[in-house]
Amino acid sequence: MNYRFDWSVLWTGQSGQWLLSGLITTLELSVCAWLLAVALGILSGALRTVPYRVLRALATFYVEFFRNVPLLVWMFFWYFAVPPLLPEVVREWLFSHGLEFWAAVFALGVYSGARFSEVLRSGIQSIPRTLLEASVASGLTVPQAYRYVILPIALRLIIPPGTNESLNLLKNSSVALTISVAELTFQTRQIETYTAKAIEALTAGTLIYLVLCLSIATVMGWVERRTAIPGLITGGGRRA
Amino acid sequence: MKMMLALALAVAVLATGVAPAPAQQLTGTLEKVNQSGVLTIGTRTGSPPFAYVNAKNEWVGFSIDLVEELVKPAVEKKIGKPIKVEKKESTPPTRIPLLTSNAVDLIAGTMTDTRTRRESIDFSITFFVTGAQFLVKKGSPIKGIQNIDGKRIAAQQGSTNARIIREKAPKAQLREFPDQPAAFQALLQGQVDAYTNDGIQLAGLKAKAPNPAQWDVVGDFFSYEPYGMAMRKNDSDFRAVVNAALMEGIESGKYFEIYDKWFGAKGELPYPMSAAVRSFMIYQVVPK
Amino acid sequence: MSLDLGVIWRNLDFLLIQGFLGFGNFVGGTLRLAIPSIVLGFILGIFIGLGRLSGQWWIRVPATIYVEFFRGVPLVMVIFWIWFIIPILLKTKIPEFGVALTAFVIFEAAYLGEIVRAGIQSVPRGQVEAATAVGLTPARTMRHVVLPQALKNMIPSLVTQFIVLFKDTSLASIIGFMDLTKAAQVVNNREIRPFELYLFIAVVYWVCTYSMSRYARSLEKRLGPA
Repeated sequence: MNYRFDWSVLWTGQSGQWLLSGLITTLELSVCAWLLAVALGILSGALRTVPYRVLRALATFYVEFFRNVPLLVWMFFWYFAVPPLLPEVVREWLFSHGLEFWAAVFALGVYSGARFSEVLRSGIQSIPRTLLEASVASGLTVPQAYRYVILPIALRLIIPPGTNESLNLLKNSSVALTISVAELTFQTRQIETYTAKAIEALTAGTLIYLVLCLSIATVMGWVERRTAIPGLITGGGRRA
Repeated sequence: MKMMLALALAVAVLATGVAPAPAQQLTGTLEKVNQSGVLTIGTRTGSPPFAYVNAKNEWVGFSIDLVEELVKPAVEKKIGKPIKVEKKESTPPTRIPLLTSNAVDLIAGTMTDTRTRRESIDFSITFFVTGAQFLVKKGSPIKGIQNIDGKRIAAQQGSTNARIIREKAPKAQLREFPDQPAAFQALLQGQVDAYTNDGIQLAGLKAKAPNPAQWDVVGDFFSYEPYGMAMRKNDSDFRAVVNAALMEGIESGKYFEIYDKWFGAKGELPYPMSAAVRSFMIYQVVPK
Repeated sequence: MSLDLGVIWRNLDFLLIQGFLGFGNFVGGTLRLAIPSIVLGFILGIFIGLGRLSGQWWIRVPATIYVEFFRGVPLVMVIFWIWFIIPILLKTKIPEFGVALTAFVIFEAAYLGEIVRAGIQSVPRGQVEAATAVGLTPARTMRHVVLPQALKNMIPSLVTQFIVLFKDTSLASIIGFMDLTKAAQVVNNREIRPFELYLFIAVVYWVCTYSMSRYARSLEKRLGPA
């Protein structure tokens, strides 16, 4: 093997700085996209199961279209195809305030929102219809039934698949490097191009992702146990 | 009887001595090409007119022609049999790894010969001379590296231009893309204020842009970029063949013909060769 | 803003025949990459899934580590690993198709393995007991009794994961593979019509994956509660 290892490239020079800034960017991007995705997911997920046809159709269209197109295509779409459509004022502001970051946030958030929506929908659907009927029978309106009875249970049921999708979101943030967002995977490439030490650079990046994912999964496992409703079957227990 | 045997032996020894030598031992890349019958080159897909995909969706360019018309015949002559040239895409971040991993044998695109790079790979003689500049919208306030502070500049991740901007103009907002098409797209649509690359490549992009008159190549060369073909280290036989091919091309005039085809008045991108560069090219040809 | 749909029409053959199918001057093709990836990924996934259920710890532990590892890193990172490292280790050249195929197969196998595992675990224990009572060996039980029923249970999740894999093939464009996404990029660079082009390929992807997901939905309904 014609390769000379030199692990010091990871802490000499700018590599450490780059990894750190890449990590921060990845986290910023993921958190912003996650908030957007959760909002869209809850909204559309719930809408898909309400008894009003037009709302159901709209939500279904959102989910089916955005979910079935690759994220990379959405990245290019939001970064290249959308800005020319915006009013000039908005566009100029975006250009000087990190357009690529916001395009990535929207691409990732809207895409993941569609996926969260599916997770929520299956969670809600696995709750017996009788629960809704009983709530309405005891005097709650349909929206109230959802807010006070169905959704809290559904939210607990979806912690395992929801964690799974959230981790997917975190990993998918790496696709943003194609539109010049300097996130973690971008930075590992950067280290490699400046030092030619591919194995060291990739190992560093991989370890950081592993640590991130495993810690989030562990934390969510703890949350799941803390918020479990005694007696409620949560189908599996082990994170999905 | 013994005399006859001795004589026969002597003749045999002499015969093997003067018999035509077996095909000379090929080493390194030449051996590899001989075995596979294919010379794999790493080249660009979005750098007109050096290597790009034209309107007919064909992969063509100046660097590609230099390989097909100068290097390929020379290699064929050296190993004594015809070969095929296979093209693979290589970009600034990937070209050295592709070379060192044997995925490609020769990088023929827009690679600048630098001393640092020579520590990991070898270069042929220079086949083109240019320098880094900026591509901007006509009327842009950017006139060169001196006034890009605070402006959004696109570059390709891993290119020498990106590195120089980081060092010489740290206050500029650098946006690095994995490849040229995405970076150029960002300039066309205004996501960045300028795109930096070697002047000749910028001239090529401008000529191919939907509206060439809207764009300007500005700034003094903020770097000297001599393009060479790159190959693996410690492969002097292959390098000698490539260099001889290029020198032969310059001496015979074929190089200038190919240059004219792409950069002449009727070429894809008119970029006349200055007298200084012409002399430089001719002086690179060492005597036979 | 004027819409120039002609740009799609003019480049239709490049986009679909080169980018989507994979026939042309460039090494590429979404289908050409997706189909082998799905098939090989599934086969490897079966082994991984079975490995995770194995009684022997020296099979179970590596399989578990394998799954946890690949579920904790982005696919883009795996692609870069294969792209840079394997050629260094093996000292031979690997074309982009091979790089992408390897990366997708080993990555997706981790996810498919989990689906296989869940499918096998969903087969009632009574089946295994009955099979043993009838005299089948564990291996035969798995092959003739458990796996067929497990496969029936996991078809919907499998198809879902296949859809994910199909979409993931777009990432091969990052390393220069001329798939549908890269073909659109190349055309866009010349024509500067990102809205039309990216929307077009979005629709093409959507048509494929929506059909696959409708099929999964109808399978889910048809097979009913396991």
